Amino acid sequence: MSHLQQTPGQPGISSSKKARWTGNLSVAQAISYLLLAVSSLFTVFFFAWVVIASFKKNRDLFKFPWRLPDTWSIDNFVKVWTTNQFGVYFSNSIVVVCLSVILLLIVATPAAYVLSRSRFRGREGITNFFIVGMGIPVPLLFVPLFVTLSYIHLADTLTGLIVVYIALSIPFTVYVLTSFFSSLPHELEDAAILDGCRDWQVFWHVMLPLAMPGVATVALLNFVWLWNEYQLSLVLINSPENRTLSLGLYALINSMQYSGGDWASLFAGVTIVTVPTVILYLFLSERMIGGMTMGGVK
Amino acid sequence: MMRKRMIGLFLLPALVFYIGFVIAPAIQAIVLSFFDTSGFSDARRFVGLGNYAKLLGDEVFWKAGANTLLIMVIGGVAVFLLAFGYTMMINSGIRWRKLFRAAIFMPNIVAVVAITSFWSFLFMPRYGLLFSLLKHLQLDTLAGIAWTAPENVFWSMLLGLVWLSSGFFMILIMAGADKIPSDIYEAARLDGAGHVETFRHITLPMIWDVLAITYVLWLIQALKTMEFPYAFGGPNIDSNLYTTAIYLYVQGFGQRQPIYALGYATAIGVVMLVVTTVIVLACRRLMRRERLEY
Repeated sequence: MSHLQQTPGQPGISSSKKARWTGNLSVAQAISYLLLAVSSLFTVFFFAWVVIASFKKNRDLFKFPWRLPDTWSIDNFVKVWTTNQFGVYFSNSIVVVCLSVILLLIVATPAAYVLSRSRFRGREGITNFFIVGMGIPVPLLFVPLFVTLSYIHLADTLTGLIVVYIALSIPFTVYVLTSFFSSLPHELEDAAILDGCRDWQVFWHVMLPLAMPGVATVALLNFVWLWNEYQLSLVLINSPENRTLSLGLYALINSMQYSGGDWASLFAGVTIVTVPTVILYLFLSERMIGGMTMGGVK
Repeated sequence: MMRKRMIGLFLLPALVFYIGFVIAPAIQAIVLSFFDTSGFSDARRFVGLGNYAKLLGDEVFWKAGANTLLIMVIGGVAVFLLAFGYTMMINSGIRWRKLFRAAIFMPNIVAVVAITSFWSFLFMPRYGLLFSLLKHLQLDTLAGIAWTAPENVFWSMLLGLVWLSSGFFMILIMAGADKIPSDIYEAARLDGAGHVETFRHITLPMIWDVLAITYVLWLIQALKTMEFPYAFGGPNIDSNLYTTAIYLYVQGFGQRQPIYALGYATAIGVVMLVVTTVIVLACRRLMRRERLEY
């Protein structure tokens, strides 16, 4: 509640700040408040409405979509979790996304370290080679990835999905980590070398700990992206028992056309998909937003 | 000093994954686009530029392309007006700056399928949220609009896509705006420049570069739009919602019945790759000319 400390008239506030709050609440600012509040409230409304809908009975949902439910019931959650297999999808998602992120970091961090911290011929070429990957439209890879994974018997498996997730996350991850490593000071590295550290010891004991904030941010962003992703899993996963949570939600929407619209259960599913990333966001929004810009604009 | 051996060892795993599952498939895609194939090598037939020739005469492809272009241009203008507006409003010295920013960005951390579920219910005919709201407000003419009818469904979808993307691009534009040195503003203020003047002569030119770069990012991203319209369209997706990426998927893997026109589908992907490359090259050309130094 830091804004409470900035109320006008309170002692200890710099004069320019004070003028900002008291003197001139211009028309422009009033409009800004209004429009920003409306936009923000729409987001809040979206989350609140979905969560409330997931506790409703279908009858109430359709009859009174704007009201709170008379009785709050968790039946919808029980139904999607068991009958619609969201329990299975949830654990698939946890396994796939966590393993992908961990392996991605193991693969990408050393590469980024070498690309930013050593001098060798072709370094710039390899860096650009990785960056080019960010420009390749993912749909171009749908067919060849499907064919390749079928060929090595990894189509329709979680392993295959993990491999593809790692590969496609490498360009962004290497790019961001390379610029993060480049921003670290040279002094500690030099000191470690003077103290007789071997090259890999410098990486492991000196540079990697320093790079941890960057590594954590990249891990977080990749977790959120892969958790929400469904187009690649749509192409690569066929068996219902191998679905990830996003794909499972898509499959549920699809099946509703035929089994009648159990929208209340659908929104319970939406809530289940949404909760993990929202919890992360509530605690780490600044880090996520900051990380987004690291790769976005150079 | 790093030894050669360590450099190699550190680079190798990333290169293996990246080449094996990004670069090689991309090259394979280009090769596949010259074939008529359903994925089984014995049934593969070389057709040269046949798939591309077929694309030229494929009305659905042009329809999907036109939709994609609408997203890139009309959606883009809407996204950037909103994102730029948000940036200016949040930076106008108001309170709860971080709170507003976090709230407006928040939809971007949610699965797209989750958002489209809500969006479908919002626009659902006869039962939807919007319908019942308009009905309560006695706005029967507005309530009578069929938001998901073939002629409107694309725009209902685009509205959601714009809502989602404006938060994302707000973040990128804000990051650029933060880099404008504040002493310039100070100097302008001392010289007696008003809000409007400061905006026109300092903020806009300074941020122009950032807007250009982020717009290119938007174009690259919008060109491959698939997840939002595809999930919004549901199982029997209306061809009015097709984008090139969706049409690629449909040609490759089909809807209810698989089509497996894999060569044809991949040719669509190659067209997307070419367009992306052209956009990037054009942008680099442009940037080199108008680099603004400060």
